[in-house]
Amino acid sequence: MDPSSGIQEPFDLIRLSLSERVFVKLRGDRELTGILHAYDGHMNLILSDVEETIMIVDVEGAPDGRGTVNVAKRKMEMLFVRGDGVILVSPPSRT
Amino acid sequence: MLIFSVFKTLTDQQVTVELKNDLSITGILKSVDQFLNIRLDNIKVSDEARHPHMMAVKNCFIRGSVVRYVQISAENVDTQLLEDATRREALNQNVYLDAEYKLESREWRLPSGIG
Amino acid sequence: MDETTPPPPPPESEQLPPPPTHTGSPTDFLKGVVGKRVIVRLTSGVDYRGVLSCLDGYMNIALEQTEEHVNGVVTNRYGDAFIRGNNVLYISAAEAL
Repeated sequence: MDPSSGIQEPFDLIRLSLSERVFVKLRGDRELTGILHAYDGHMNLILSDVEETIMIVDVEGAPDGRGTVNVAKRKMEMLFVRGDGVILVSPPSRT
Repeated sequence: MLIFSVFKTLTDQQVTVELKNDLSITGILKSVDQFLNIRLDNIKVSDEARHPHMMAVKNCFIRGSVVRYVQISAENVDTQLLEDATRREALNQNVYLDAEYKLESREWRLPSGIG
Repeated sequence: MDETTPPPPPPESEQLPPPPTHTGSPTDFLKGVVGKRVIVRLTSGVDYRGVLSCLDGYMNIALEQTEEHVNGVVTNRYGDAFIRGNNVLYISAAEAL
């Protein structure tokens, strides 16, 4: 165990982020930031004041192979996120 | 089980369910089960031009596993209550917890012997 | 069950202290790597390098001082990161155990 941060299991990291703004990386090149209000063992999440960012790689018109990345953003006031799409959750940095 | 209980409190309210195939359906949440399967009434597909086959559909059953998001109206959620219930469920993580949200008392009722 | 079936051999760990390099169960590896620098590769090919805080039976992982590497390029940094276990391809020790 790391004595500096009282974390014994990974979910402690999430529990300590309740009511804080978190960053969530999802499958399908999507990212969210929002305030975390609920989660469960599947990593189903309920977030408020959410901003979603969708990365859309435009392969066409890019002969060098590296397509330009277009970004679409939208906001949602309260959102349930199904856990199976979650890749990573990062709490606000505790400094 | 906590999230299931949350959805139960949202029945008869309008939600927007976004599926993993990008189809977005707005409708009245009629029921939900433990798999987070969802029944919607009075549905409207957000981008009908792209999904014309959905225009005649008035209600639907959505398998929980195909859901990406459910957009909820913030006024229908007590966030403080949610956080407390989440902490309690986390404390009892080793127990199969069946927290019940009691509408009358606006409280999360835990099974006897827990928390 | 056939009653004449011999019992399974007893675990060897008590009699034979393993040489330090390449023995021990996967669980022993995971126990040994907690608190160390690791590389976590996801099935998508993305790597996360950081200090392994802890992990659970689903291979959910908590990392500290995390760098996200895509194609060898650092694309993000996180003070703490929770990685959902189903995405994990492997965990590799990035320093001596």
